[in-house]
Formats: sequence, structure tokens, C-alpha cells
Amino acid sequence: MTHFGSTIREIRERLRRDDRRYSVRQVAGRVGIEPAYLSKIERGEVAPPSEATTVRLAQDLGEDPDVMLALAGKVSTDLQAIIRKRPRLFADLIRQLKEAPDKAVLRVVREVRDGNW
Amino acid sequence: MIFLDRNRLMFRFPEVHEDAICSIELQRTLRIPDDDKDYPLPPGLGAFELRHLDDYSARLPQSWCRRGGVIAPMHQAEAMWINFTSDYPFAVKVATGKICAITGDAWTNHLNCDPQDYAVLPDQPWLDGYSVEKGIIRQFVAMPLGGGYTVEEQLTEAAVHGGIQFVVYPIKAERYFDHGMQFLRSSFGRDTIMGLAPGGRMKQDIYDDRRGLDVWDQRHGSRCFVSLVNTAQWMAITGERPPTDPPTAQAYTARGLPWFDYYDGDSKVMAGSKKLRNLKSVAKNAEATSQSDLPDNETILVPNVIALGKPGRRPVRESAGDESVF
Repeated sequence: MTHFGSTIREIRERLRRDDRRYSVRQVAGRVGIEPAYLSKIERGEVAPPSEATTVRLAQDLGEDPDVMLALAGKVSTDLQAIIRKRPRLFADLIRQLKEAPDKAVLRVVREVRDGNW
Repeated sequence: MIFLDRNRLMFRFPEVHEDAICSIELQRTLRIPDDDKDYPLPPGLGAFELRHLDDYSARLPQSWCRRGGVIAPMHQAEAMWINFTSDYPFAVKVATGKICAITGDAWTNHLNCDPQDYAVLPDQPWLDGYSVEKGIIRQFVAMPLGGGYTVEEQLTEAAVHGGIQFVVYPIKAERYFDHGMQFLRSSFGRDTIMGLAPGGRMKQDIYDDRRGLDVWDQRHGSRCFVSLVNTAQWMAITGERPPTDPPTAQAYTARGLPWFDYYDGDSKVMAGSKKLRNLKSVAKNAEATSQSDLPDNETILVPNVIALGKPGRRPVRESAGDESVF
């Protein structure tokens, strides 16, 4: 949890060096939370926010929402729904791939087929 | 390789470099008035749905299945812009109906530099339409193939392909290091198949390639054909509800919601295509044929324009979710 907060703070502070719109107050405003709450999140004094807030925070900071959710110890609702639909298949798949290198994981990703045009 | 991730086309080239990843998203947007005035950039209103075409092959013509790629729904006279996201440099060719959106030339898989027929990422964050003059584009607007509106029909006098085509080439890995860059068969009538036509004029720069043709790794390209169908056909093919109508430019502006301008003072801007400049816009075409295919085309005043300069990070071009009020 602390790691989530400190990462958010680090990213926000880095952006703020070039752009003053990344103050705690302005980021909190865009994300729709109180500045004091964002400060507490950054200091690790409270648990990471809800999925929706984490996603908005990630988008505002230009980060990948899935990575930020993982840092917050969460899995997005859409991924949960995918696993719930075919739990045995996806549980097996994830376990099989857990140690595989990125290249091997990419081989099971469904490609958009290019045809004849 | 290309895969679909939440309605984004993800182009990935692990054989070139682990950072060689870019995404292309088709953004719903307002259709700007087609009245020969120059408008700022309209907002993004969320991504168009994209699906693997292969999943619906039983309900699609065989000629479409041969193309592969993905399928997307668009309302007639709906507008879109293309959203590029990448830190690694890429050269991207964009065509509609197999006509290049930058030069107006017929499709080729390879890159050409005279005239330059590709956009360079990450310099080019968006492409909203056809390059018609220096700093001016005509908005991408969906019209039924066969009506004579599309760029393809105006330049080739044939309505064959429709849709949108992409080919993406990463920069050669050694150049990345060198520069230390951070960076339904019978019911498939013609009016159900969509192509893109030139709409209203908009201020948008398309940037010159400052690196030159040699830096692009043309041994490792990935292509994608995006087939476009109207919303009724989308429901028949996928069984999914089609997207709601986007707000009109008038209604959006009346609510005080923002439009955008983007400047990158460091980059040279391309001149625009003479071929594309001479095409009839949708409104001009409708006027010439006494048709009324373009509703809600009144001139508007745009008081709320947000300037997005060269970013330290990617500029956000959204209406902050306010489109939900529509």
C-alpha cells in the first residue's frame, strides 16, 4: 500500500517539475477527490482508493491503469469478469504462464489477422 | 504483431525492440460544421468499439473475411479522429478506402518520402482528417460507400474498399539507441458499408519526418484493415447495441465545453495534398446533388479553446467526461 502511495507521489512530483497543473490540489480536483485525501494516499496513511479513482488517477498521470491497479493490490472489474466466466481455463492459463518470459506470453496473445487487401 | 486491447489496436514489435509498442485508437468526436471556416480541434468522446472481424465471418461477405483485421460501427455523418500513443518512434501510414490521407495517393505498403506519405510518432499525437493545406485538414466523416462522397470514390470513381487502413513501421533499433531517445451477405447493401469522406476544415499540423526514410525498419511492418459498418448493421453482425448518437457540435459548444488547439513549435509542418484539397467536402457534395445527408451543419462560434503546447508528457484532449450530460 505504501508502495502505491509513494509511486503516485513520485510520478506526480516528476510531472509537476515541468507543469504546475500537477500539484496535489489540481490533480485531486481533476480526479474528483479531496486534496487532503490524495495527500494521505501518497503518504500511505490510507488504503489505496477505489478502482474507479485509481483508474482516473492513472489516466491523469499518464500511467497504465492496470499497472496502477496491480500496485494498489487490485484486479480490474473487467479482468475479474473474464476470469469468472471461464475460471478453470484462465486459472490454468495464468499458472502455466507465470514463469514464462514475455516473448512466450506474447505468443498466446490473439493477433489481429492481416489478410489480402 | 497486432492485438486488440480495450478497443485499441496495439502494434508490438518485440523482434525489433522491447520498447517498440504503439497503440492506435479511433476516437468518437463531434462533427465540425462543414462551412469552409477553420475550427479548432474537437474533443475525444471515447473510443469506437473494435472487434476481430474473424469472430463474425459467418455474417460477413467473403471479400471482407479475406481482408482480416477488425470491424467498427459508425453512424452516418459521424466524425472520428485517430489517436496515436507511443514513446518509441514509428512511421504510420493512414489510408481510407486505400487512399493515403496525407497525400491522396493510392495505397502502397512501403513508405514514401517525396511527398512524405506517413506520420511520425510520437511527434504526431493525433490525425483528425485529410491533409489539404499546410496546417489545415478536412475532418474524417463517415458516409455510405456508393453515395459518391468518400475520398476513394472521388479519386478513383469506384466504391470498392471503404474502411481505414494502417501500416506501422518501427524505427530501427540501432537508431533508437543512437539517438538516445526517450521517448450479412445478402443484406449487405452498399448503404450499410461505410467509407470516410472529407468534412469540415480544422486547424491541425502534420509534421515532417526530421529523421529521413532510412531510419525506419521497413522489414518489420504490421498492417491492419478496419472495416466500417453502419450502426444497424453492427447490431445485426455482433448482436451488440450500437453506440448512441454523439452530441452535435452546437449542443456541445452551447454547454461551454472545451475545444482544443495544439502547437509544436519545434517541428516543420507539411504542405498538404493538392489532390485532397480539390475534393468536394460532404456538404458541397450534398449541395451539388440536392441531397440532405448532412444535418446539424450550422456555423458555430467556439469561445472555449484550450491551447495544448508541446508537452513534457502527452497532452490530454478530452472533455473531462462532460459528454455524459448528453
